Amino acid sequence: MNFKKSYLDIAAYAVERAARSAAAKGGRVEAEACVVDTESIQVNVSGRAVEQMNAVKEAGIGVRVLRDGRMAFGSTNDLSKGAVRDLVEGLVKKAVYHTADEFHVVPGAEDGAIGGDAGGAAGYAGAAELANYDPQVAGTPVQEKVGRALRMEAAGLDTSPKIAGSMFAVYQDAASFTYLASSKGLSGWHRQSGCGGGVEFTAVDGEARESGSFVQGSVRWDGFDPEKVGRKAAENALGMLGARPVPSAELPLVVPPEIGTELWSFVAGMLSADEVQKGRSLFAGKIGSEVAAKGFTLVDDGRRQGGMATAPVDGEGVATQTTPLIVDGVLKTYLYDCYTARKGGAKSTGNRSRSGYGSAGGVGTTNLYLQPGDVAPEEILAGVDRGFYLTVVLGLHAAIDTASGDFSIPAAGFMIEKGRKTFPVRGVTIGGNLFELLKAVDKVASDLTWFQTVGSPTVLVSHVKLGGS
Amino acid sequence: MSQKHMSRRTFIGRGSAGLASVAFSSALLEALLATTGCKAGPGGAAASDVIMPDDVLARAVSHLMSRGADFGDVYVERAAFDAVRSDDRKINTTTTIEKGVGLRAVKDGRTFYAYTDSFEPERVYETARYVADAAAAPAASTAPPLVALAPLRSPLSFPIRPLPSEVGVEEKIELFKALTDRAWSADPRVVQAVQFLREIIRQVNIATSDGAIARQTLGLTEFIAQTYVKGADGQLQAAWDQRGAYAGRGFFTGDNAFEKVVDAAAAKALKLLEAVDSPRGVFPVVLGPGMNGVLFHESCGHGMEADLVFKGSNYKDQIGKRTAAKGVTLVDDGTIPEFPGSYAFDDEAVASERTVLVEDGVQRSYMCDRIWGAKLGMRSTGNGRRQSFRYPPIPRMRNTFIEKGGVPAADIVAATKRGIYVADVSGGGQVDVITGNFMMGVGEGYLIENGRVTRPIKGATISGMGIEAMKSIDLVGDDLAMFPSAGRCGKMQTAPVGFGMPTIRVRGILVGGKGEAWTDIEGAKGGRG
Repeated sequence: MNFKKSYLDIAAYAVERAARSAAAKGGRVEAEACVVDTESIQVNVSGRAVEQMNAVKEAGIGVRVLRDGRMAFGSTNDLSKGAVRDLVEGLVKKAVYHTADEFHVVPGAEDGAIGGDAGGAAGYAGAAELANYDPQVAGTPVQEKVGRALRMEAAGLDTSPKIAGSMFAVYQDAASFTYLASSKGLSGWHRQSGCGGGVEFTAVDGEARESGSFVQGSVRWDGFDPEKVGRKAAENALGMLGARPVPSAELPLVVPPEIGTELWSFVAGMLSADEVQKGRSLFAGKIGSEVAAKGFTLVDDGRRQGGMATAPVDGEGVATQTTPLIVDGVLKTYLYDCYTARKGGAKSTGNRSRSGYGSAGGVGTTNLYLQPGDVAPEEILAGVDRGFYLTVVLGLHAAIDTASGDFSIPAAGFMIEKGRKTFPVRGVTIGGNLFELLKAVDKVASDLTWFQTVGSPTVLVSHVKLGGS
Repeated sequence: MSQKHMSRRTFIGRGSAGLASVAFSSALLEALLATTGCKAGPGGAAASDVIMPDDVLARAVSHLMSRGADFGDVYVERAAFDAVRSDDRKINTTTTIEKGVGLRAVKDGRTFYAYTDSFEPERVYETARYVADAAAAPAASTAPPLVALAPLRSPLSFPIRPLPSEVGVEEKIELFKALTDRAWSADPRVVQAVQFLREIIRQVNIATSDGAIARQTLGLTEFIAQTYVKGADGQLQAAWDQRGAYAGRGFFTGDNAFEKVVDAAAAKALKLLEAVDSPRGVFPVVLGPGMNGVLFHESCGHGMEADLVFKGSNYKDQIGKRTAAKGVTLVDDGTIPEFPGSYAFDDEAVASERTVLVEDGVQRSYMCDRIWGAKLGMRSTGNGRRQSFRYPPIPRMRNTFIEKGGVPAADIVAATKRGIYVADVSGGGQVDVITGNFMMGVGEGYLIENGRVTRPIKGATISGMGIEAMKSIDLVGDDLAMFPSAGRCGKMQTAPVGFGMPTIRVRGILVGGKGEAWTDIEGAKGGRG
């Protein structure tokens, strides 16, 4: 994949057409255009053979038009000048019907937006140091990618004769180039890559039948270890054989990195300034207050070297940064884009997140992690006399109420007795409240582990309600 | 509705345009509609449904088959998405226009797929040859044999009334102003409200190597309302309601009126302020009619999809065996007028149908597409669906429901001494198809005490093993209701689906919550409760 000047040009063309179209009507508009060019491969394998291969090459444009305080967004994957002109002119016309909002903005330098070197043609300064692009991902021949998928599955199948087969085994990679242009004269481009895989196995032993999965991704071609993913998934399935329910109880809970990352993502969602300003988050009005236990430090880092969400700028061209959200239990800031920053009298934290050209975006995390402590995870386990080690959660999106923070999560894992994992458990739920859970985090281990864009060490929660038989 | 672990699975999504985040401009949509036949919304081939002419489709299929593939198809799509959203009392619209051609070749059961965003014949042929090469049999390379294509016809039609383009932007904005006011004035405790309307016009042309051409235009309209309320004690609660249909906005009247949906969201949220924490443990659950059909979708529907059956879901090798209690009949129906899982042809040009999956407790069929159905030695049941030209089709549910039984619905709660009544599982759900473990979030629920529905509960989830849950259904009501949902089922790609069921009782199932632990509830274990 390469930089394509024509995409920077079509983004600039969209911005210019918006201005011209408005001028003809005797008005003034600001505009921003974003072109995303993507190449990606997905290989599904099953029973040591390719089941499906899907190759993707696509580019499209998304345009924001701001006219008299009214914002309109539209997108298309037709990058011909005619189609882009039609799109932009339609948006200029339509914007007048939208609700005016004084905080809408096409970001300029005063909002923290930056442009690329040499008018954008050379990309953003310092982008290379972020190490968020590996040309080998898009450059490697497809046959090698197929090989990775096959090796990943085989590594798990070969772990034990009890591994009956895979339900799902996929290798995916993507490389994308993003081109931004705006009427504030700031244009630039940057690129990202990612590759990884995931597999889910069935383990069978007599009548017992269990599942286990593992997923891992990396920016770099060399950062993904297919055999390790396959083995871990198989071990997860084998470990659950013989699982049984246990009676309801109130217990300490050990949360390993795989599950911690999922929980902190929900917390970060409630730390979006947009949610707070709209009255949808119970973190509203809590800046400076203790919202979590001491030792709980949650950070969003848009510039993490080699991070899968790392980029020089966010979705509206604002320079990314490292943002401590909760420090030693005290809430320091929310996550902002330019709109919420203006509304809240704050500065953008570079957290305008967009999922592609078809999305105008909103406030979102970049690379989010819970800062590790200095106790070894084994030590945490050793200190639990009777507790629950959580390894599987089902339907987290349905199990956590993001308004109240209440959750009851169908779960599986292991009983902990006298500091050791003793037997696998299935058919239980973990009940509690996310806000209360944050304050009940007793210990944070040293084993920070990243799962794509979120990282967590193992943590100990002093008590949760286990619902069972 | 469900995520099926897929949020974890599709972890490299950057750069891909999600359908959840789309939009549109009326001028563009009008331009699109001007060239389509969706005014009549025919299931058959009206000349105006043509995106790509027969000869180009035939040649593209020939290129796909030129290297020895067993099956190939060309899927041409253009789509316009027009959305109106009110959030924080501010009303905005968005627009997206997309087009593309998906090309698939299948060889020895393996699928090779690619797409192009160009309708230029040469670009389409070039992509077809790329796919054909990927699927190539070692020695096969022949001059492309031209496939003779014949149009498919269907008695089904899905008229879109009115067409989105027949309603001006001003009119939509006026509707939304009224809905916004209605939501915010429902109660002084309302602190935030969102209303979202999305109209999607999808025009599709499909040609297959077995000679079929299907052309259809579908118009999907979805409406979602969400309301946040705050109690005197600072407690924050949110609830939502939704409808979706392959029809125009004319569908949204009566019980499906926009106003009803907005009112329901506020009413449910307010009830949560008075609710007690759900009890936890294994005990009887009575599920009310309609939307709760998602129980079937999560607990066993996915496990009956041919790809997952083939790969060893817990429903594998169950044809002719008991997989649900006697009296329980499960149906997947793709022919219900206006419902979100209905269509004349699926996305690989197979006519839709009504498929009985479980009859009186005995497994009769699975949901099959062409490829996975063939692997199971079964014909396609018309369940091959795809989100867009970006995806190859896979077996998906349509409108899934439990047939009505013979017990008067009112008697079911009366026969339950202690348990919970679930009015609405709007929380969504997920399933692990290997073990059959599933979960659902309860949106609106109540305690049942001494045969009566009493206090509202919050924070409840239901979970268990699909086949066990289906076998422990002991009462099936006579009040079947179908629910036209705006919910999307996610399985690597999304699909609109509908649900339905009568009131039923599950004798004993795991309920999660942070309230008190209930043990030894009468009827929860052992024989008939």
